[in-house]
Amino acid sequence: MEKLITVEGLSKRYGKDVAVDDLSFQIQKGSCTALLGPNGAGKTTTLKMLAGLLSPSSGKIEFEEMSEGDLRKYIGYLPQYPVFYNWMSASEFLTYVARLAFLSKKEAVVRTNELLELVGLEDARDRRIGNFSGGMKQRLGIAQAMIHSPKLVMLDEPVSALDPVGRRDVIDMLEELKKQTTILFSTHVLSDAEEVCDDILIIRGGKMALSGSLQELRERYQKDVITVQVKGDGGAWVKKLESYDWVLDVTLEGGLMTLVVDEVESAREKILREIVDLSIPVVSFSVGQSSLEELFMKVVRA
Amino acid sequence: MSQWMILFRKEWLEMARNYKLVWIPLVFIALGIMQPVTSYFLPDILKNAGDLPEGSVIEIPLPTSGEVMVQTLGQISQLGVLVLALAFMGIVSSERKSGVLDLVLVKPVSLPHFVTSKWLSAVIVAVVSFFLGMLAAYYYTTRLIGELSFGDFVRGSVTYSLWLVFLVTVVMFLSSFLMQSGLVAFLTLLFAILLSAATSLAPRWMEWSPARLTTHASAFMVSGEAADKFILTLTITTFMIVILLLSSIQLFKQSRT
Repeated sequence: MEKLITVEGLSKRYGKDVAVDDLSFQIQKGSCTALLGPNGAGKTTTLKMLAGLLSPSSGKIEFEEMSEGDLRKYIGYLPQYPVFYNWMSASEFLTYVARLAFLSKKEAVVRTNELLELVGLEDARDRRIGNFSGGMKQRLGIAQAMIHSPKLVMLDEPVSALDPVGRRDVIDMLEELKKQTTILFSTHVLSDAEEVCDDILIIRGGKMALSGSLQELRERYQKDVITVQVKGDGGAWVKKLESYDWVLDVTLEGGLMTLVVDEVESAREKILREIVDLSIPVVSFSVGQSSLEELFMKVVRA
Repeated sequence: MSQWMILFRKEWLEMARNYKLVWIPLVFIALGIMQPVTSYFLPDILKNAGDLPEGSVIEIPLPTSGEVMVQTLGQISQLGVLVLALAFMGIVSSERKSGVLDLVLVKPVSLPHFVTSKWLSAVIVAVVSFFLGMLAAYYYTTRLIGELSFGDFVRGSVTYSLWLVFLVTVVMFLSSFLMQSGLVAFLTLLFAILLSAATSLAPRWMEWSPARLTTHASAFMVSGEAADKFILTLTITTFMIVILLLSSIQLFKQSRT
């Protein structure tokens, strides 16, 4: 796959505070990348620099095959809290920004109609934006980001402020957008990223903590896990389990044991045997894989 | 249609939707009517409303038409300037504060276009409103008070309108980098007051001052001729307007980073 953006050593400092510290990454053309991180990690600052709304303190942002002129032509951006001209109607606003992006009058109208349909706002096209709900504004925000068919669309926390239904709708919309362009969106919820994205970048305190494709990360970091719920506290047994070399990690919380093991087949057999031999009062027993959520928490907290 | 026209048209649509295009001219027209009418009816008003002792004779000489026009300009210098400052204080700063600028400026919008389209629309509204007010004043003055050369009236009004353009540019300048609209209005008024005060307190030193335009305008109305150093004031003011506008663009660029 070709790369679309190469970022090298991107930093943003406000006086002594460092918001973004020496970030380097690439974004592949046609991919969907999630920028993950806890609140205050520097996600918004990074996106704003890529969108040209903030200038970096240092570092380089290179867009392939769009080195000429104003980069904003190729970029669509949705801020975390999109604000519109409340006195305009949805279709007026979309046509306005389309014309600002140098679409002809005819093209602007065509694109406006297409996007209102895509985001499901046809019925509200002539209503004043001032009367829109949060979910509708988010949809309109996505429409304005896509209006000039940008090569890269950046969405800052597109689902964080939405209710479960709105969230579902936006995720489905992103699936649709993925077919048309390259997407970079920030979120602090890993499951959103897992649902639509191919690649993730995890940042913490302005620094790159982990990056790669989801597939790769799963293969590399996902481990076999056996969870056993016992009656009582099971402390003695845990001590014994910890001593085995095929048990990589054990956590015990209120009788729920989570064992990370190296070889799931043999481990399962050994554990089940011990349960019988030692008459452990087991309530439940399950075999599975660690979720990326755990990896995410570990990376973010480290 | 160029991007500049798109931005320019948006300003007009906005001013129509929030009724600025209605109330700003109306305020100026009201200011323009008020002075000649009250001057004309002042003796009657005093007679009917005043608690004057029986038999007292009121003799208030009717002012000349030129004087009435000068008084009208005086009204506009206070209320008119206040209205313009309040109307345009948020021209950029309120858009920045609300965050809508982020959506507009991620589109390939030229920043000089953005600033100048806003500036010109504000200038047109201010100047047209002012002329409507002055025409109303001229109409009632010539009807009620006495003749006034239309040429002198136009010269005086054009001169005064440059002062208003200058002040609107100051509003634009402050709004281009400040966040608080109220602060923009306050600083503009403070600046206008200080400049006018300095100009009248130290006339020798301040011959170049844009605030001198009000003196020139009054001189046109009363005597048909400008005061001394008219060309100097005119040149300096025009120059300052250009500088302020260019600085607005520059500060606006910097305020984004």
